[in-house]
Amino acid sequence: MDLVLIAEMIGAAIAAAMIYTIIGIIPGTDETAVLVPVTLILVLAGVQPIIILCFFISAIIANNLMDAVPAAVAGIPGGVMTSPMVEHAQLLKKHGLAGQSLRKMAAGSLIGVLVSVPVSLLLASRLIPLAHLIQTYANPLFFIGAIILALLSKNKALALASTLPFALLIEGMRHLYWGVGAVPRGTTVFISFFLGITIGPVILTLFELLDKKKRESMIHAEPRKIVLRKDRFEWKWLNPFKIVNKREWVTSGVASLISCFTFILSPVGVTIFLGELFARRRKNPVERSSLAIVTMNALANATYISGALIPLIALGIPLSPVAIGPAHALFDAPPVFTATRNMHHLLTTGDFIWATVIGAGIAIIMTYVITVKYAQSICAFVFKHIPHEAILGLFCGFVLLLAYMDAGWINIGGVLLIGLVAGMLHRWGVNYGILFMTLYAAPWLVGLFG
Amino acid sequence: MRLQRRDQSDTIEIWDDVVRIRDLILAIIINSLTTLGGYFAAPDDPPMPLLFGLIGAVIGFVLCSFIIKPKRTFEENESER
Repeated sequence: MDLVLIAEMIGAAIAAAMIYTIIGIIPGTDETAVLVPVTLILVLAGVQPIIILCFFISAIIANNLMDAVPAAVAGIPGGVMTSPMVEHAQLLKKHGLAGQSLRKMAAGSLIGVLVSVPVSLLLASRLIPLAHLIQTYANPLFFIGAIILALLSKNKALALASTLPFALLIEGMRHLYWGVGAVPRGTTVFISFFLGITIGPVILTLFELLDKKKRESMIHAEPRKIVLRKDRFEWKWLNPFKIVNKREWVTSGVASLISCFTFILSPVGVTIFLGELFARRRKNPVERSSLAIVTMNALANATYISGALIPLIALGIPLSPVAIGPAHALFDAPPVFTATRNMHHLLTTGDFIWATVIGAGIAIIMTYVITVKYAQSICAFVFKHIPHEAILGLFCGFVLLLAYMDAGWINIGGVLLIGLVAGMLHRWGVNYGILFMTLYAAPWLVGLFG
Repeated sequence: MRLQRRDQSDTIEIWDDVVRIRDLILAIIINSLTTLGGYFAAPDDPPMPLLFGLIGAVIGFVLCSFIIKPKRTFEENESER
């Protein structure tokens, strides 16, 4: 490893931490939708894989922590992963502890990184001998993954019943595109369908706006009210040991450890499940919420890092919701990365360790300091100057662009259709993890009937 | 007064925040134009189109942020400590 490469990796990690600090704070930004396009660009631009990985690891850590910031400051989730934290953050805010909850979030993130990086690297190396076996059965495994996620979700019967029809929709669109010649036969349209699922709930709402009756029932005349409280900065806050107590260290550490082994499950599901499980036992509401905040932030990082690294290092196929989702471009970005030649095949174990340690180290140091010292002023800026319309517009632009790139104009309609169906299923209670797993398992599942 | 009432009558909540329908349509149009515009203006040599498209998206986003006012009321107070 030469010095130039290390310098480039450090540069990439710093850039990622800065970009995703801003993106993360913007309310409502979905993790997958903001991570995939940028990583995809880097891959297609021919940037060295080790630098991309370093960028990606730094990006997820910065994005996860900064997603939590608006929850602490204003009670608005910054992204999907932070929605379970909002309730706890609001309770602390009501007690005038918004500043403290910010610092606990930062410390929780740090704990998640400290636990999950070594554990994921170790666990991945243990799984390598099994990799061949797992790869052989990858397709049925995706389907089993969807079934397991469905059985763990709130709406089990609905989730189970919707897998086959949703798989038919996906494969139906692909065969249609082959039939009309939108893409060459055998080309699997994927990324735009994926984004269609992600942004499905918004597409559904936009369609509902076209219905006059629905529109009138959706009117919400009150502007969103945001109250910010300013804390004066104290240097001792930079010391994580002064921010979280021993119970919080241990609980969040143990939760992060467990979540590395459940890398195959949906990160937001695991974060809710383990976070609430551990926090529920505290009687005092302030203690309970602050324990939940620390633990959930640790879990957000731990689930993302393990979910991305373990399949990447051990398997080379995206067999986890994180790998299928936000990390997807690291596995599959034709023509640069394909199923048989992606980051898994191109990087050595040493490369993985270097990229992860540099990316994670830089991201956590930078975002920790930013959160503790500047989070409130950044939040104030975003809330005052960034309209929600601009964010929604940006997403629509992304979807159009990736839809057109994947299969031409026809695919814009196709992505809208998939978004409508996915948005409806999501609103009914089928979570993203199930839909993503189904998207992956669709060719195999539909092939069974051939 | 009448203007204010009309303003209020078409704000809706979507993805956890309040937007005005007319501003939302404007934002979608602007972003679609800048994003696809960037894509088609780029030299036909991967990954330039995607890169230009993303730059277009960012330009659209900044434009919208200048044109459209956020629908949030904002209050800042000093900590009482």
